[in-house]
Amino acid sequence: MKLAVVGKGGSGKTTTSSVIARTLARSGQPVVALDCDSNPNLGISLGVGDEETERLISMRQALDEGQGEHAPTWDTLINRYGSDGPDGIRLAVVSRIDNPEPG
Amino acid sequence: MKIAFVGKGGAGKSAIAGTFCRFLARQGNPVLAVDSDPLPGLALSLGLDIDDDVRIPDEAVRERQEGERGPRFRLVDDIDVVDSVGSWSVEAPDGVRFLQFGKVNGQAESGQRLWKSQMAFRQITSKLPEDVWHVVGDLPGGTRQPFTGWGAFARTVLIVTEPGAAGILSSKRLARMIDLENVENVYAVVNKARDPGDADFIAERTGLEVVGSIPWDEAFADAERARRAPIDMAPGSDAVREVESVLERVLQLDKVGA
Repeated sequence: MKLAVVGKGGSGKTTTSSVIARTLARSGQPVVALDCDSNPNLGISLGVGDEETERLISMRQALDEGQGEHAPTWDTLINRYGSDGPDGIRLAVVSRIDNPEPG
Repeated sequence: MKIAFVGKGGAGKSAIAGTFCRFLARQGNPVLAVDSDPLPGLALSLGLDIDDDVRIPDEAVRERQEGERGPRFRLVDDIDVVDSVGSWSVEAPDGVRFLQFGKVNGQAESGQRLWKSQMAFRQITSKLPEDVWHVVGDLPGGTRQPFTGWGAFARTVLIVTEPGAAGILSSKRLARMIDLENVENVYAVVNKARDPGDADFIAERTGLEVVGSIPWDEAFADAERARRAPIDMAPGSDAVREVESVLERVLQLDKVGA
């Protein structure tokens, strides 16, 4: 299954996505959660914490600034730029970030 | 004053900005409320029906001629910004003037039209003298768009923040994106507060000065459902009254700073 969650700001996309991802993962399915939001907060809702959420974003940003190599395939992307979350979920931030300074 | 409201999507920028404009106008101040959010909101919270024709006319913008410098799109040369904005905007209750950018037929403009709209917005809002109008802007939600042009006019930025982890993280991101060469004041406004300690909590976590803590109030949600201005539908509600306090604090701080 490939599922995208969309909607107006503040309507609950991130929360809905995270609960679906965790529920799926608990039923024994392998789940990759992709944060495609320009203001990426999915890590917080999934439960990986503030620091790890910001670390994933910094990594993604370094890529956009040419300081890292883009992953050639999807599995390289989630292995190299992803993070392990609760219930065995693999999370990656794939949005374009327009945030000048991490930290 | 030139003020921009920014914040995470759904934080309550439009509801607060519209109410803020109405109170500012009731004090006898001329107020221009500008909406650059591609989603509607400010018109309703001011007490207007959504009208997508309330925008600057295409003829007001021209393309750069060969040999000219500067941005590709600019306002036509002989435009008097004060007169033009007066005629392009519409009157909302309490005498607030309302003008919107970044929309066509209720949808986000794409590509060149959005760019034209943004260049016009930047020039108009930077040229408008503050002694003629207070300019209050409702900016796009999230952290991608607000400071890529829409926010350049602002001298004061109010970051609307919900007291949750995502709201705090978004506000910290926004705070570090603000161009401090142009912006004199950056404040946080807590919205949907459920605890008296939320203001201190946000101040501590974001490092921002908090100028108000608007409580969670059904009146705001009811007004949005009813497509009416909170200040008209629930003038005595705690949320609306706290927006008035936010205005008083911002005006006071503006005086102290000046």
